[in-house]
Amino acid sequence: MTKGSGITLDRVSRNFDSRGRRVEALREVSLACPPGSLTALIGPSGCGKSTILRLCLGLDTPSSGSLALNGLSPADATRAGMTGVAFQDAALLPWRSVQANVALPLDVLGHSVSAHASKIAELLDLVGLKGFEKSLPGELSGGMRQRVAIARALVTAPEVLFLDEPFGALDQILRRQMNIELQRIWMETGATTLLVTHGIDEAVFLADRIIVMASRPGRIAKIIDVDLPRPRDRSMFGDPRFHALEREIAEALDGH
Amino acid sequence: MATDRMPGWVRGLLYTLALLVLWEGVGQLRLVAGGALPPPTAIALRLFADWADYPNHILATIQGASIGFVIGNAIALAAGVLFVLFPVTSRVARGLNVAIYALPPIAISPILVLTLSGMAPRVVLAAIGCYFVTMTATVVGLSQTDARAVDVVKAYGGSKWAVLRLVQWRSALPSILSGLRIAAPNAVLGAILAEFGGGGRWGLGVYLLGSLGRGEPDRLWGIGLMATAIAAFAYLAFAVAANAITGTTQAVTVPSSVAKAADRDRPVWQNATIAAASVALPFGVWMLLIWALGVPAMLAKSPAGLFEYLFLMPNSPVAQERLLAALAQTLPMTLIGMVAGLAMALGLALASQIYPAIVRAFMPIALVTQTMPLVALTPLLVLMLGRGYSLILWVTISVTFFPAFVTMAQGLILVPRAALEVPRAYGAGILTQLRLVSLPASLPYLFAATRLTVPRALLGVMIAEWLATGTGLGNLLNQSRGYLDYGMIWTVAVVSVLISVAFYQIVVVVEHRVLDRLGMASTN
Repeated sequence: MTKGSGITLDRVSRNFDSRGRRVEALREVSLACPPGSLTALIGPSGCGKSTILRLCLGLDTPSSGSLALNGLSPADATRAGMTGVAFQDAALLPWRSVQANVALPLDVLGHSVSAHASKIAELLDLVGLKGFEKSLPGELSGGMRQRVAIARALVTAPEVLFLDEPFGALDQILRRQMNIELQRIWMETGATTLLVTHGIDEAVFLADRIIVMASRPGRIAKIIDVDLPRPRDRSMFGDPRFHALEREIAEALDGH
Repeated sequence: MATDRMPGWVRGLLYTLALLVLWEGVGQLRLVAGGALPPPTAIALRLFADWADYPNHILATIQGASIGFVIGNAIALAAGVLFVLFPVTSRVARGLNVAIYALPPIAISPILVLTLSGMAPRVVLAAIGCYFVTMTATVVGLSQTDARAVDVVKAYGGSKWAVLRLVQWRSALPSILSGLRIAAPNAVLGAILAEFGGGGRWGLGVYLLGSLGRGEPDRLWGIGLMATAIAAFAYLAFAVAANAITGTTQAVTVPSSVAKAADRDRPVWQNATIAAASVALPFGVWMLLIWALGVPAMLAKSPAGLFEYLFLMPNSPVAQERLLAALAQTLPMTLIGMVAGLAMALGLALASQIYPAIVRAFMPIALVTQTMPLVALTPLLVLMLGRGYSLILWVTISVTFFPAFVTMAQGLILVPRAALEVPRAYGAGILTQLRLVSLPASLPYLFAATRLTVPRALLGVMIAEWLATGTGLGNLLNQSRGYLDYGMIWTVAVVSVLISVAFYQIVVVVEHRVLDRLGMASTN
C-alpha cells in the first residue's frame, strides 16, 4: 500500500506571456488525489491538463500556488525516484534496446541497472514483452512501444505515476486492450496515478475520479466520481452505468 | 529507357567511363588551349614517372591536415556542447564564429607563416577549415534532439549533463559525423593553402606551386588529381562510418549559417551587452593570440598597429591608395562571379524540377567538386583559360556554382509533391508551376546558398589573382609577402575578413526581412 499524501495542487496558476499577450494556461487550480487512487484529467486542447502534468514532474514551474507529491516538491520527488512517467508517444531512444530503454530512469537517477535486472525482466513480462528484451524500438509495433514506455514508467517502483495520453497514438481496438492491461498493472502496483486523456471511455474505464477541465483560462469545470466496481472487464464498456457516466462527462465538456 | 533500371552506382560508373573516354579523346586531339587538357593516359603516365616525388609531399600534406583535423574538431565539439548547454555563450561567440566561417584562408596564410613555424601554419588552417562545419553540425545535432526523450530524462530529475550524456550526444552523432565528413576535405584544402603561404619543403601545395611555372600540364593535373583523391578519400572514410552508424545515406549539405542555440528572452541592455561582446571578441582573440605567441610588434600587428600603419605613418597615403586600387579590382569580380554562379545554380536547380534527370547527372560531379581543393583547380584553369579576367570569373563561378547547386537542388527535393501537383491539377503548365511553387519554395535555399558562397567567392577571386592574374587583393597579398611589407599583409588579411563578414551580414539581414515577410523559415 502506498504511503504519503498523494498528489496535491494548491491554487496553482501558470501564465504564459508572449508578445504582450497573457495566456492563462491554469488559473487557481486546486486538486487532491488520494494515495493509491487513479485520477483522470480530461478536457479540450489547451485546457492545461498537460501543463498540470509538466508542473507535477518539475518540467515547468507554476506562476503561483504550490504542488506536492507525497509532501515533497516535484523537484525533490523526481530526484528521489518517487515518480514514473509515460508520455503520449513512447519517446523511446531508438539506439537503446527494449530493456535498456526500460532502464533509462535508473541511469538518470544513478541507480545500478544490473541490480534491477530481474525487476526489468519482471516488468517486461508484466506488459507482455517477454522475448523482446534485446529488440530495438524500430522493430516493434506502436502498441508494443507504448508498453515499453509503461514498463519504463514502472521501473523505479514509483509511488506516483503520471500518464500523459499514453495510448493517444493507438487505434480504438488496441486502446481498449491496453486499457484493460493498464488497469491490471495499476492494481498490482497501487501507485497514485494521474492520467491525462482525450478519451471519455478511457477515463471512465480506468479512473476512480474524473476531473473535467475547461479552457481559457484553464480550470476545473467539474469533478465526477466513478464508483464502478473493480476489476472492470471488457463487458463494462457496454454497462448502462458506464454510458450514463460517459454522457455526464460529455455534457460537462460541453459546458453543462 | 534501359538505364532507368540500373542501380545508381552502375549508372554512375557508366557516366564516369563515358566522361573519361570523352576526356581522352579531347586530350589526344589537343582540342583545349593547345594541349592544356592532357588525356588521362598521359596524366597517369606522368604520375607514374614522377612517383618518386609524391610520397614525401603527400605525407607532409596528410600530416598537417590530420593534426589540424583532430585539433579543429576537438575544439569544435567542445564549443558546440558549450553553446548548447549555455546558449548565451553562442551569442557572445557569434562574431568570432562568423569571422572564422567567412575568412578566406588564403588571406591569413601568409600571416600564419610569419607568426608560426614548421607545421603549425598548416595545422592551424586545417583546423580552421574544420571548426565551423563541425561546430555547426554539433549544435544542430544536439538541439534537434527529440524533445519528448529529453522530457523523460528531466522528469526523473536529470540535469542538463544527464540529458547530454543519455540522449543528446547519441542522437547528435549522425549530424556530427556528417559534419566531420565535410570537415575532412576542408582540412586537406586548409593544409594545402597554408603550404602556398611558404615555409616547408614538402607538401602537395609546395609541389604544385613549384611546378606551376614550368608549363607541364600533365604534372599539374597529376598533382591536382592527387590532392582531390586525398580529399575525396577523407570524405568517403567518414561517409562510410556515418552510414555504418546511422544506416542511412544522408545528403551532403554544407552548413552556411551560424546555428543558434535556443536562448530565453532578455532585457534590452543585456542583449546590447551580448551583441557588443560578440563584436569585440574576435578583436580580443586577435590581440590575445599575438600576445600569447610573443611575436615582435613589427611582424605581428595589433588592431592599433594596423590603424597606425594605415592612417598615421608617412607612407599611409600610399598604402591606402594601393589597398583601394586592389579593392576596386577584387570587389566587382567577386560580385559578378558570385551572381553568375548563383544564377546558373538557381537556373539549373529549377530546371531539375522539370527534368529530374539533371540532378542525377550533375549531382555526382557537383559532389566531387565539393571535395576538390580549389587551389588544385586554379592552375588547371590557368592552363586552359590563360591569365585574364575570364579566368577569375570562371574560378569564382566554379567555386560558387556547385555548392549553390547542391544546396538548392537538395532543398527543392524537399518541396512536397502535393504542393507541386495542386497547380497542375488546375491545368497549370510547367512555367506556372515553377512561378507559383518552385521559385518561392527555393527562396530559403537561395539565401542559404548565397551565405555559403560569399566567402568562397572571395577566396576564389583571391586565389586566381594570387596565382594567375597579378591583380587585386590576392596579388597585393602575394607582393607584400615578397617585399616583407608586414603592415600590408595584415591589412589585406583583416580587410578581406571584414569584407566577407560584411557581405555575410548583409545577406543575413536581407534574408530575414524577405523570409519574415513571406512567413518562411530560414534553413538551419
